[in-house]
Amino acid sequence: MIKLAIKSLLNRRASVLLTVIAIAVSVTLLLAVERTREQVQTNFANTVSGTDLIIGARTSQIQLLLSSVFHIGSMTNNMSWDAFNDIRSRPEVEWAVPISLGDSVGGLPVVATTEDYFKHFRYGSKQSLTFAAGDAFKGEKQVVLGAEAASKLNKKVGDNITIAHGSGGISFSEHDDHPLTVVGILKRTGTPVDQTILTSLTSLEVIHGGESHDKHDHGDSDAHPPAESISAALLGLKAKPLALRLQRQINTYKPEPLTALLPGMTLQELWKTLRVFEQALTVISSMVVLIGLLGMLTIMLASLRERRREMAVLRAVGAGPGTVFGLLVSEALLLTVVGAASGLALLYLLEWSLAGVIQSQTGIVLSFAWPTVAEWWRLGLVVATGFVLSLIPAWRAYRQSLADGLTVKV
Amino acid sequence: MTAVSVRDLSFSWKRNEPATLEIPEWQVQNGETLLLRGPSGSGKSTLLSLLAGINTPQKGELSLFDTPLSKLSGRQRDRFRADNIGYIFQQFNLLPYLSALDNALLACQFSSIRKERIAKAGETPEASAHNMLKRLGLSESQIQQPAHSLSVGQQQRVAAARALLGAPPLLIADEPTSALDAEHRDSFIQLLLELSAKNDTTVIFVTHDAALSRYFDSHVELNDLNKAGVTA
Repeated sequence: MIKLAIKSLLNRRASVLLTVIAIAVSVTLLLAVERTREQVQTNFANTVSGTDLIIGARTSQIQLLLSSVFHIGSMTNNMSWDAFNDIRSRPEVEWAVPISLGDSVGGLPVVATTEDYFKHFRYGSKQSLTFAAGDAFKGEKQVVLGAEAASKLNKKVGDNITIAHGSGGISFSEHDDHPLTVVGILKRTGTPVDQTILTSLTSLEVIHGGESHDKHDHGDSDAHPPAESISAALLGLKAKPLALRLQRQINTYKPEPLTALLPGMTLQELWKTLRVFEQALTVISSMVVLIGLLGMLTIMLASLRERRREMAVLRAVGAGPGTVFGLLVSEALLLTVVGAASGLALLYLLEWSLAGVIQSQTGIVLSFAWPTVAEWWRLGLVVATGFVLSLIPAWRAYRQSLADGLTVKV
Repeated sequence: MTAVSVRDLSFSWKRNEPATLEIPEWQVQNGETLLLRGPSGSGKSTLLSLLAGINTPQKGELSLFDTPLSKLSGRQRDRFRADNIGYIFQQFNLLPYLSALDNALLACQFSSIRKERIAKAGETPEASAHNMLKRLGLSESQIQQPAHSLSVGQQQRVAAARALLGAPPLLIADEPTSALDAEHRDSFIQLLLELSAKNDTTVIFVTHDAALSRYFDSHVELNDLNKAGVTA
């Protein structure tokens, strides 16, 4: 009977092929959305690694994370250099990198920090930043560009840029008289670092030094510390388990109100807030699969009329209405299974052919893997839905062949 | 043994409607070839659907080879048809996407008894179908061709091969020659009867053309058989 189903399908290969393609593409979409989500989540969790604590002035943990790691939003308060110095000198702290935010170039955030940033900052699976060209800044008036920033601003090593105050695209005050030289360009990381312009705290102080804005107080140039206050700091600890205790101590720091966060945990929390979009995507791709299967249903129902003679012939040679029913169900199952399998193949083909492009454009590394259990479940659900939908034309064919018997009046 | 035995049969398509078919008594002997003639509307297709076991009479008895069809379940009647009845339609007998050979082999698809009968004759179903098609005048290449590429006459021959494959005791042909011209018609009937005779197959040949009666043992007018219109 399966042989009969296959031959019958081959006879209608044009519409059958279209149906299979529709199912395959929709299945590819369904799986691709899921895979992309997982990859994005992994990459998201990988934006910062190797950092045990992030500290800043008192604010919500998510806001501190957003501004210090993703450079989204701005910190309303700064923490003083004294506090930073105090925490840095604690015995459990192995390293501490200060960062100061608030300036921008062409809408891209400027991160003022120290050379230690290149030494200690890690992303992904503890990868450190590497240079595509040039090297880290050594002194004043030097900047290092993230990969994306370099291509957006169209700058290469040796070019000059000017920094504007404020983080908007259009700034009210540009520090035109203090051009900075690009000394290094980072390799792509797939993290917000790609978008940033890194410079030293002292460079920023020099730029701001001569000016007297009311609204900001990046400080005076006479102080020994490179800045009077900073936006946040990344901390590395000698022993990871100390992080929780130190976090509590910093959160209850007496001299000034501070917030400390564990990057991994806060990233998780942030991801949870994005779950709505993720679910919306899943719902949409499920709908697409349903549309693909409904297409199959339409084609099967439409073909029933012209297949009444076929059914009558089968009944004449002894097929019962149950056999007719089974024939249609197995046809639909065959279509969905082939469609789902092609969809899976298409997914791997796409991953294989686009992996290079995706990595260079977004930094997301696609890892080849067999379908996960969840993916098998999804495929199974697609086939099961196809099966359930096929009961409709099968039932109609059953009724039809009961009524028609051997005499088809078309 | 009688091939067909009918007693006090009454059938209507819908309940509480006057009967379409009422046959007080009718018998067809085993091995007999019979021409059943009736104008359209005389209950021809109704009688055929009862004989094929698609429907069962509301009243009375209908037995084929001493098997009362009304005692069988729907599934059993399907089996019975597969094993015992070869059926030829007026036209559109074949699955267009199968080859002539595969169409003929459909007869064995639902019947293990037909396969056994072929095996007893010392043949495989494929060889038997192949021989049958050759006897009916199809060429080697036509045998392998998909059915839709054959002419109407050739399609009817394939249908005949399918109906006769595995030597069913009863052959029902529902106006199988109405789409053929006179010359093809006569040779088709002769071949059909010749092949049936070999297996002692009972033939019920339905037609509206009384001129064909010379080929058959007996000639029955359905209007004489069916009392439905008379008594109502």
